[in-house]
Amino acid sequence: MKKASQKTTILGHLKENYRLYAIAFGIVIIAELIGTIKFNIGSALIVLYPMLFAIIISIILGKDVLGFLKKKEAKKASSLVLVAISPFMAKIGVMAGSNLPELVNVGPALVFQEFGTIGTMLFALPIALLLGLKREAIGATSSTNRDKDYGLICSKYGANSPEARGSLSIYIIGFLIGTTYLGLLASIVASFDFFHPLALAMASGIGSGVMMAAASSTLATIYPAYADQIIMLAGMSDMLSAITGIYFTLFISLPLVNKVYAILEPRIGRRGKNKNVAPAKSAESRISQ
Amino acid sequence: MNMSMKDWTISLLFTSVLTTIIANFFQNDISILESVPGVLILSSIAFIGIFIAKLVPLKIPAVVYVALTGLLLASPISPISDPIIYYTSLISFTAPITVVGTLAGIGLDFKAFMSQSWKMVIIAVFVFTGTFLLQAVFAQVFLTVTNAF
Repeated sequence: MKKASQKTTILGHLKENYRLYAIAFGIVIIAELIGTIKFNIGSALIVLYPMLFAIIISIILGKDVLGFLKKKEAKKASSLVLVAISPFMAKIGVMAGSNLPELVNVGPALVFQEFGTIGTMLFALPIALLLGLKREAIGATSSTNRDKDYGLICSKYGANSPEARGSLSIYIIGFLIGTTYLGLLASIVASFDFFHPLALAMASGIGSGVMMAAASSTLATIYPAYADQIIMLAGMSDMLSAITGIYFTLFISLPLVNKVYAILEPRIGRRGKNKNVAPAKSAESRISQ
Repeated sequence: MNMSMKDWTISLLFTSVLTTIIANFFQNDISILESVPGVLILSSIAFIGIFIAKLVPLKIPAVVYVALTGLLLASPISPISDPIIYYTSLISFTAPITVVGTLAGIGLDFKAFMSQSWKMVIIAVFVFTGTFLLQAVFAQVFLTVTNAF
């Protein structure tokens, strides 16, 4: 307790972080002024939320583009993501508690759809092999590679292994792709009119709160009659992924991806130049969730 | 979560609490005063959840405890479920997430992103498409089988 004494005064805390808070506050205001934009592409309703604008604005203002924020502040911001998302998770909890019979009703489906996670490997591994990746493909396609999955791959194969390099790449790219693309994907898949809105809601929970929020708020706008249930189920699915995800990766996805790799690689893997893709910079960003 | 509860609370106040009230005003025309009880309730639930996560030695993400605390307090067995459900219903679910995107964006290592190979970007698209689609298929199948629609 004594150790953090210089940090424990409110004033000291503010002195250290006021710039970050002020800039974040400003970005939120700008994003909210832009508001929610909806438009149709074909039969798909595309919904752009203030959160999406906030991500784009803050990347532009951030340390790597315009440099309004310093490296230290960027690091602090990453650690605050988990703080700031907790009221949203509280909201999801409240929605689930007030719709408890509904939740119990869909409970079995909610649990079983977690096995859909093997879709990560089914779709992405053949593509990775066709693109000429070797062992990197194992790390990259064994899960959506959120923090804990990357940690798992590192501890299993070593942080300098090709598997870990592949995992790190998807971890880094995943944040941008996941938040911007998942909402779009949800719109497009919804326009097929093939899946029930609640099934799509469950699919939105992929173990990252920010991504789940992007996909499920889009779905809630497309299906206003189901809005509350969509957010609630997406949140519960995400929570389940957060609990079970790492065990799923360890005991099911990884052994499976290794087996399929052994079968597919000699057939469709590119021979010859075994040049490893993705130099994998040491990433300090600890986003996700 | 190696932040002290005090630091956590101050951080929450200056990020989520302030911006959620503002965002709720912009998005839903709900006045700042009307939003205050709901935001404070959600923040308190978050506080309790994070506190429990600090006490329980299990390796489960702290947000899980937050969601479970909310679930319990809003469930029919809770004596205070009615006011909790009422006040938090005034806060739209999109209001608290704008600041989450902001912080995640500020923290993003854009240089590392740009240094990635285009092949990995394609693979990432397939990773997320595959996960989403197959989870949707499984959910659809099991919802149909269990007659849960």
